[in-house]
Amino acid sequence: MTDGAALEGWTPEIGKGVPLEEVIDKAFDYRGNVTVVKTDGSETVGYVFNRNRDVAVPFVQMFDADGAGPISIRYADIRTIRFTGRDTAAGSSYAAWLRAKEAAKTAQHPEKGSDPAPSRGA
Amino acid sequence: MSVPLSQMWAIASYVIRQKLAGRERYPLVLMLEPLFRCNLACAGCGKIQYPAQILRKHLTVEQCLAAVDECDPPVVSIPGGEPLMYPEIGPLVKALVARKKYVYLCTNAILLKQKLEAGLFEPSKYFSFSVHLDGLRAEHDEAVCRDGVYVDAVEGIKEALRRGFRVTTNSTLFDGADALRMREFFDTMMDLGVEGMMISPGYSYSKAPDQEHFLRTQRAHDLFSTLLSNPKRRWKFNQSPLFLQFLMGKRDFECTPWGNPTYNVFGWQRPCYLMQEGYAASFKELLETTRWENYGRSSGNEKCRDCMVHCGYEPSAVHHTFASWRGFRDTVQATVTGRF
Repeated sequence: MTDGAALEGWTPEIGKGVPLEEVIDKAFDYRGNVTVVKTDGSETVGYVFNRNRDVAVPFVQMFDADGAGPISIRYADIRTIRFTGRDTAAGSSYAAWLRAKEAAKTAQHPEKGSDPAPSRGA
Repeated sequence: MSVPLSQMWAIASYVIRQKLAGRERYPLVLMLEPLFRCNLACAGCGKIQYPAQILRKHLTVEQCLAAVDECDPPVVSIPGGEPLMYPEIGPLVKALVARKKYVYLCTNAILLKQKLEAGLFEPSKYFSFSVHLDGLRAEHDEAVCRDGVYVDAVEGIKEALRRGFRVTTNSTLFDGADALRMREFFDTMMDLGVEGMMISPGYSYSKAPDQEHFLRTQRAHDLFSTLLSNPKRRWKFNQSPLFLQFLMGKRDFECTPWGNPTYNVFGWQRPCYLMQEGYAASFKELLETTRWENYGRSSGNEKCRDCMVHCGYEPSAVHHTFASWRGFRDTVQATVTGRF
């Protein structure tokens, strides 16, 4: 499971043992919107889908909250990134499905109580 | 033999041309993802977990064709998301067929009957529906986390076959899969009249909801050996027999991540269809700037350790077929005898 749920709501302060490159990597891996705070104080909310630091001028790319983009922002222009959006990979639709199946079975055969959950693909 | 001769010839001649040209890295199948939106949320899928504005986005037909023209593979696979939800899917397929690309439209088939009745597609030797089915009714509906999907998919397959389309199936196997039930599934698909089946172990997407049931290497070998060691003559597989032998543990290949490159709304995905470590703006940039030595089992990359997925290893199997007379002989032998 992703550690995205732990990142949701995180507002890192760059510099105190938290390097910018690490925060950018986490933002890139995060399946939710973030807020990129630039050194000039401006902010862009959106989804970071790419980052590249193996080039002369490292950059991130994102689509904003309306889907406009790609917007490129240089690492040097980023003050911090806040994990402001919901992590879309944090929910467990499979666990929800198992619970629903279990509830349906119990409703159909209440005398049997709770059967063990079906094994995946079995 | 389930792959038509014309398709086999197109791929064989393409690979030979690449070898004669001395190309070390060349694409076989472009994985073209025009959108991430899907009408299912399968337990083992890590492809669709995005914010709403990303799920609303899709490529234009022009963007798709530019990617195909730059990459220029013999085969184009259209997964997603659900490609039948892509508003331009009809024109896209038509344009690809006009380019004489062999097209596999990978669909869960929920919308297939409806789209066929709307006249969106025309049968062609270049065009096949590849219907996602992870087993018989109980197993498939559980894998896709919704009841009734298997029945819809089978209805779609029947309708497509009735209208003269090529239809194949693609199945992802997870830990706990019952080999006997899968053999029944193969029989059922052959009874339906599909042209061939594709099977592969699932990849442990870090973003997939179900993290407990991805197959590790030895268990995958055990499962596929049980499944395929005594295959019925009537079973047809729409994939390299050497890849099937690899799944059974009879052969060892190294991954060919550039063999099935992926293009989507973010660009060219590094390094492969399964892992997202960044994006390149062009196919050329993807080939030239990806650190390929960091991927595949021999690299020691943890994310590649247990991967046996078709998009990395089927190109390796095809490469092996044309790398030596022995590879070619083994492929012909397995194809003709139907034994792996």
